[in-house]
Amino acid sequence: MTKSLRVKTGKIIDETYRISFKFNGKTYYGFKGDTLASALLANDVHLVGRSFKYHRPRGIMTAGSEEPNAIIQLHKNSSRTEPNVRATEVEIYEGLEASSQNCWPSVEFDIGGINNFLSPLLPAGFYYKTFMWPASFWEKYEYFIRKSAGLGKSPTEPDPDVYEHKYVHCDVLVIGSGISGIMAAKTAAKNGLQTLLVDEKPILGGSTIYQNSENFKINNQNSGSWLEKEINEIKKISNLDIKVRTSVAAYHGYNFLLARESLTDHLPIEQRKNKTRHKLLKIRAKKVICATGSIERPLIFNNNDRPGILLSSAIKRYADLFGVSCGEKNVLLTNNDSAYETAISLIQKGINIEAIIDNREEVDSKLVYEIEKNNIKIYKGFTVVDTSGYKRINKLSIMKLSKDGQKVIGSKINLPCNCLGISGGWTPAVHLFTQSGGKLKFREDDQVFIPNTHPSDQISIGSCNGDLSLEDILINVPNTLKEFLGIKKTEYENIEVLSSENFSKRNIWLLPSDKVLGKTKSFVDYQNDATAKDIKLALREGFRSIEHVKRYTTTGMGTDQGKLGNMHALGIISETAGTKMGEHGTTTFRPPYTPLTFGTIVGRNVGEYFDIFRKTPIHDWHVENKAEFENVGQWKRAWYYPKDNEDMYQAVQRESKAARESAGILDASTLGKIDIQGTDASEFLNRVYTNSWSKLAIGKCRYGLMLNEDGMVYDDGVTTRLGENHYIMTTTTGGAANVLSKLEDYLQTEWPELDVYLTSVTDHYATISVCGPNSRNIVSTIIDDLDFSDENFPHMSFKNAKIGKINCRVMRISFTGELSYEINIQANYAKSVWEKCIEAGKDFNITPYGTETMHLLRAEKGFIIVGQDTDGTMTPIDLQMDWIVSKKKYDYIGKRSLYRSDTIREDRKQLVGLLTENPDDVLEEGAQIVANINKTPIEMLGHVTSSYYSPNLKKSIALAVVKGGKNMMGEKLIIPMENKSINVTIADPIFLDKENKKLNA
Amino acid sequence: MLNYTPALLKETLIQDLQIKEISPIMKLIVRGKKREFISAVGKSLNILLPTEANTSTQSDKLTALWLSPDEWIIFSNDTMNKDLNDYETEKLLQNNISKINLGAVTDVTDQFVMINLKGNKIYDLFQSGSPYNFNNFQNKKGAVTQTILGKIDIIVHNQDKNTVNLFVRRSFSQHLFSWMNDAASRL
Amino acid sequence: MFLINCPFCGEREQSEFKAGGEAHIIRPKQPTELSDDEWAEYLFMRKNIKGVQFERWNHAHGCRKWFNVVRDTSNDEIKAVYKMGEKPPTI
Repeated sequence: MTKSLRVKTGKIIDETYRISFKFNGKTYYGFKGDTLASALLANDVHLVGRSFKYHRPRGIMTAGSEEPNAIIQLHKNSSRTEPNVRATEVEIYEGLEASSQNCWPSVEFDIGGINNFLSPLLPAGFYYKTFMWPASFWEKYEYFIRKSAGLGKSPTEPDPDVYEHKYVHCDVLVIGSGISGIMAAKTAAKNGLQTLLVDEKPILGGSTIYQNSENFKINNQNSGSWLEKEINEIKKISNLDIKVRTSVAAYHGYNFLLARESLTDHLPIEQRKNKTRHKLLKIRAKKVICATGSIERPLIFNNNDRPGILLSSAIKRYADLFGVSCGEKNVLLTNNDSAYETAISLIQKGINIEAIIDNREEVDSKLVYEIEKNNIKIYKGFTVVDTSGYKRINKLSIMKLSKDGQKVIGSKINLPCNCLGISGGWTPAVHLFTQSGGKLKFREDDQVFIPNTHPSDQISIGSCNGDLSLEDILINVPNTLKEFLGIKKTEYENIEVLSSENFSKRNIWLLPSDKVLGKTKSFVDYQNDATAKDIKLALREGFRSIEHVKRYTTTGMGTDQGKLGNMHALGIISETAGTKMGEHGTTTFRPPYTPLTFGTIVGRNVGEYFDIFRKTPIHDWHVENKAEFENVGQWKRAWYYPKDNEDMYQAVQRESKAARESAGILDASTLGKIDIQGTDASEFLNRVYTNSWSKLAIGKCRYGLMLNEDGMVYDDGVTTRLGENHYIMTTTTGGAANVLSKLEDYLQTEWPELDVYLTSVTDHYATISVCGPNSRNIVSTIIDDLDFSDENFPHMSFKNAKIGKINCRVMRISFTGELSYEINIQANYAKSVWEKCIEAGKDFNITPYGTETMHLLRAEKGFIIVGQDTDGTMTPIDLQMDWIVSKKKYDYIGKRSLYRSDTIREDRKQLVGLLTENPDDVLEEGAQIVANINKTPIEMLGHVTSSYYSPNLKKSIALAVVKGGKNMMGEKLIIPMENKSINVTIADPIFLDKENKKLNA
Repeated sequence: MLNYTPALLKETLIQDLQIKEISPIMKLIVRGKKREFISAVGKSLNILLPTEANTSTQSDKLTALWLSPDEWIIFSNDTMNKDLNDYETEKLLQNNISKINLGAVTDVTDQFVMINLKGNKIYDLFQSGSPYNFNNFQNKKGAVTQTILGKIDIIVHNQDKNTVNLFVRRSFSQHLFSWMNDAASRL
Repeated sequence: MFLINCPFCGEREQSEFKAGGEAHIIRPKQPTELSDDEWAEYLFMRKNIKGVQFERWNHAHGCRKWFNVVRDTSNDEIKAVYKMGEKPPTI
């Protein structure tokens, strides 16, 4: 049986509702309202983890998101497992299972603990220094270093939970619901502003809500009760949205913030089904009020990391809020008045205090006098010089501080202690403020960094702005709000405040010990095991910049980002280097403030919604007819249609033969289509394509090649003249959006004088391409009132037509080299037209083919595919397409670049055909091409861009780019592969029907 | 006779939010810069093109949405005959605009799918995937915006309180529809 | 993610826009008259300023219009937005 340290009821604990949970396999009980940390402490469990480097036993240290030690793994070996969770933030629920991380075989006995005894051998930078050489050995070291390090285990199964994103637009965002945040939210909302108040904790009210002392009063009520009334009031305001369990992770420029709203983490697993786990709020706020509070500072002394050593404010929170005593023999170590507030709470709850050790020599404070009245021993001017107890503190030694605080004097006093509360004053939580680009200033009085200049419409109020006393808050916050919100009055004028604290503080960054520094372990960063000694070593070794010291010692580089110890690191650096704190600045605080799970970051962009897919209007037919699909940009395109267990090769061979021998049909709806209208449409085309358009007759089609200004091929396609001032341009599937955007760019910025309008009709028209010697027979069956004779409807021309009563456009154009018709039909009729083609083609063995066959057919004909045979470094001349480059036109996009010194080089890579010595050898696309394999280094001449086995030519064919290839016709080259070298001959890239007999048939 | 196949084969009702395609709706993109263009469209169709950004105008038969200073989408208020794709309005504009070079008229009837959303959670749905601030938009009948929803470009038209017309390119429509249904299931 | 005040549609989030690089680089009217070096100056040479920069932006997911933006690249503060063809403000 474990001891129970539950004392009088805590404020938010429901003792009628008992909850069982497991920690490291053992069952414990807590109450509704408990965090995992408070429930463990109530069961007298302090030891929860091992430190990162030395594997030292570590206990719960805080009661909030700043926790460096109590980092646990939830639900190990389940799909919901999550590493690196702070036990101080986990609300317990029935069935919760948690376990310690970074220890093996157990947190009680951890083999890695040997590092603690080896620690003199493991100074800062040890890994950098030791494993640097010999470099080749790193692979061997790495395995062991990685195995012994690491925080938690990532899940191995798919996450069963659902995550969402939500955009939120508000007038005012208030971050933090402590007393300042509540005042701000109420003031903003009551002045008609749409307000959002968020807090990372499950309850509102910060640390004031459990303040139940006669020493802190507002309008003659104790501050906790006063705040509670305020909270009850704001809950009724309709234009105020309140979100608890919502942690702001990032504060970007322009008041754009990301916050994680946790919706189910506090529920038993079985209640989480069909609910969203986390919502990532993408908040755009006109004004932001940071009321993020402050974090209590630890004190840095020898062996300050033992389980049982907590922040003094955490001990108070556990007692007041959860009714938990953190130990029976409590000692407080402080350099300011805060620990006395803790003492008062403990006395109220009947919890024993052994002694208070105050670094200060003399204090004139009401709080101190009250404690003295309770006969509690206060050691003034003393400090702790050492602690003992391996898995739990059991004793501490104190000594008197010298006048300058740099030494200890006198004799050592030992005190029994199983819980030590430490208080080093307060650090304003300025993390979000600095993330937003805010600059800090250093306040010498109490050694804190506070906000100085705000980069956006925002303010910091309350203790995160350095107003650490209740009095300051109640006077300053209303005034600041009035100015910030542009209002005349708040409800908080003439409020009466009683605040009994004395604000004297004796700040000593590194408390001295009777031992020399080298023999002490004074932890500055608990999570990463960086000690004061390490920081001093870094300085001795010449590091000066705080950012360098951080990386060398790893101070502040844990998942807690050094929320506790960073200030001490800075203090020790400036003290040792003899510089001023303010000059160093702080290290950069980066998002997220507390870690986010990947699920939260991706939201619903998973599975089906990972990426967008686009479908043609004929898509369902392809699915019904067992097509395999290929992703082309965002499009799902039919790739090939396997029949009777065919593989891709077999299907493509069959489809390719059928298309050339009788008829094939392709869904080409994905091609980009741009409707071009205006009196300058012809002139516009002259400027964007390399060839001339002025003389294209109405009703005719022409192929065009579009370049970038650098002369490289950008896109291609057929454009048809529909009327005097009306064209329709087709673009490649992948290039459609970019081409339209580029053309709009030229029209709007370079040639605004042109009367031209562009409208995308890509989705309006489906394109059905019927090709092959029998294509005319098929298309003419469907379109009965059109004269399909060569005279009336020659190659590269277009006709308006009707299918039934529906208007459509038919182009006689070809990407295969066969007689071919493209029907452009309004999308909602496309499936029907396609089915009619299939029906009409039955007698001609009409064969649907996909993109793979299309690629093969066009390669036989030597047609390029932009993006496959070109890669942004090919000019039309390189592609042996000189015929399409107008010599007469004065200018067009890219023209000037075609005769730069680089583009006129004879030895540029040029497009050629390749034939293999053995016609059955099919080359690999991307394979390198060389002339000589005996001379090293082997000179790479180019590579294969397209390669197929042609069923129509009954041999392997390939397109390739080869240096100076244009003048190498007939030359023999080598493609060295893994197992053999393939001999190839450079050939004409047009392998089939060079005379275009088929096209004009 | 050709069969007519709209983009979305079903309509859904999830948590009081109704999502359905309305078809066939005639849609035209009209573009022009000159003052005469706007008055010619007005005279031809008896509808004044909205010149104020993010707004719309309406006549008995037609609605016009502002898309850019020289671009509008005009669509029919009622569904058309499925068996014909000859549109009177288009012909009228071709004669009164295109032929005399005042601007451009392009049929985009099947370029865009018009999805009608009804219910009081429309804007909650939009908030789950659009960066646009709908706070003012939702109270302004006739308001128009082009933005992104679930990574897809959309045009949104506030038809009435709790009724919105959403236009999306046909090829994206099934993905968007599926995405909206998924999002709606968790509102 | 900053907000850009599109001169046509009003204030929108950055994700609706596409950046178009340095502004006020005018395409030469007579490229064929230019030497390789002069053409290269137009084609390749771009400034990359830390501080105030004049840029082109396109409201790609909105009205599709191009316009100019004056932005401080060090903190993303937008100092001015103006239409194509308008005179750049003095900043």
